[in-house]
Amino acid sequence: MYKARHAWGFLAIPLILLSLFTFIPAVAAFVLSFTNYNVFTPIEFLGLENYIKAFQDKSFQKAIVNTFYYWILVTPALVVLPIFVAILVNQKLRGIKVFRLIYYFPVLVSVVITAILWKWMFAKEGIVNYILSFFGVEPFGWLLDTATVMPALAFVTIWQGFGYYMLFYLAALQGVPKDLYEAAELDGANFWKKHLHITIPMIKPMIFFVAVISTMGAFKEFTLMLTMTDGGPLNASTTVVLLVFQEAFQNLDMGYASAISFILFAVILIITLINQRLLDKRD
Amino acid sequence: MSHSIAANPSKDGNKRRKVFNKLISYFFLLLLTCVTIVPFLWTVSISLKGQNDVIFSIPPQFIPNTFTLDNFITVWNTLPIPRYLLNTVILTFFGVVLPLILCSFAAYPLARMKFKGMNIIFLLIIATMMIPGEVTMIPVYLVIDKLGLMGTYTGIIITSAITPLGIFLMRQGFQEIPKEIEESAVIDGANVWQIFWKLMFPMVKPMLGVLAILCFISSWNNFLWPLLILDDPNMYPITLGLYQLQGAFSANTRLIAAGALIALLPVIIVFVMFQRYFIEAAYSSSVKG
Repeated sequence: MYKARHAWGFLAIPLILLSLFTFIPAVAAFVLSFTNYNVFTPIEFLGLENYIKAFQDKSFQKAIVNTFYYWILVTPALVVLPIFVAILVNQKLRGIKVFRLIYYFPVLVSVVITAILWKWMFAKEGIVNYILSFFGVEPFGWLLDTATVMPALAFVTIWQGFGYYMLFYLAALQGVPKDLYEAAELDGANFWKKHLHITIPMIKPMIFFVAVISTMGAFKEFTLMLTMTDGGPLNASTTVVLLVFQEAFQNLDMGYASAISFILFAVILIITLINQRLLDKRD
Repeated sequence: MSHSIAANPSKDGNKRRKVFNKLISYFFLLLLTCVTIVPFLWTVSISLKGQNDVIFSIPPQFIPNTFTLDNFITVWNTLPIPRYLLNTVILTFFGVVLPLILCSFAAYPLARMKFKGMNIIFLLIIATMMIPGEVTMIPVYLVIDKLGLMGTYTGIIITSAITPLGIFLMRQGFQEIPKEIEESAVIDGANVWQIFWKLMFPMVKPMLGVLAILCFISSWNNFLWPLLILDDPNMYPITLGLYQLQGAFSANTRLIAAGALIALLPVIIVFVMFQRYFIEAAYSSSVKG
């Protein structure tokens, strides 16, 4: 009943737009990375020059270290903490749905507003320092110190993201048969034993999935840094993509920025492939 | 006999343990709630403070001495907040409606028809789902520039008018419809265009809802593309407006707090109204992994 011209009729506009804003840019990003494109001077091919420059560039090295540091701070927390939260909100308690909605809400808040709220929270005379003062910590400017800026940004990411992963785990938990827990309780298993021996093995695929998703998210993050610290102080919070953004749109060195973003893409691709390997092994 | 005696204490113990569990659970639930909402509550507190109230102090002053709505009135009247909101509504409207239609256009033949080249197109779409937007950001910017769309809303809307994820989701929606439905429509003499609009499109409503929520979140919060594309402050959406305000008026914390809350309010309203769909959308967006 359908003819080929029907299919192409529907696909025409979508394919034009996809070509312009997805297919061609993907190829163009790769091509640009071998050029000196900077908007003003004529385009010239440089071969591997941009890539060589990247690996000698101190600020790129720093950005890589920063990105890995941010990833180590964020991903383990976002993999583990939401499991506990999901177990917590998976109980039949009065008002539990309201708690789920509250925890999820920060996911919907624009990065600009998140940045505003948390700049004030982390201010020298802000709430974070007030709470820490009970533990005898002297107040200081979290976002103004090269040693504390990344942990502070990581905390904001965890604050904003734990409700998102909580939902994923919640879906996984609802697939765990209840009689497993009942049997364990009869055997006298406590909270930790029950979840260590039943929950964790049962939701393992989801734990894996969350680890991958949050890893990708961590490697790509830059709008939080752009809005909260602009990469400062002293580039201590400049991530790889923030460097791409700065090189491309502030220094207009788009060829070099493309090379950096392709190195990042290679890293993300490797992570995806390792992930697929591990998943295949499981099956 | 001995059975009943033995059962009672354990039942008691069970009950006590249940109450204890409940208390512990609520303790953690409330603790997490505090961590989640304190930044918002503090912003509310700041926005209600008068000129004589201290904003930053240890210990902090949560309850203002003089409650005032002046900050909201000032922000509304002196800064272009209503204008920003209107701009955001316009951008969000197209940012939701266009992907719903265009992703369905692309997904419908991929899900229901067989034609030469179909597999290649589907593979291309799936492959590009793996490429992060951060990698293609520069060429997309250059394409918008070459098309002469710098400084226009079209430039912002068009970048997100169709997404591989949206096509993927809608394709799943169309695949779930039983085959007999189209066949009976053909017998009734409907053409393909009519079958799509009158029959198929209404049947994928649940998936359209999911996609609409995802597009709403990303359009309302879109900040990067307006920052890169727009240069006329009168055209700024609220996120970009706030970003510029906090740079320009960094001294006036009270006004920024009020502005941030005005920007948050529509999100809260939509979230409370469509909470079920939001949760569903979060699950569905996870399939791309």
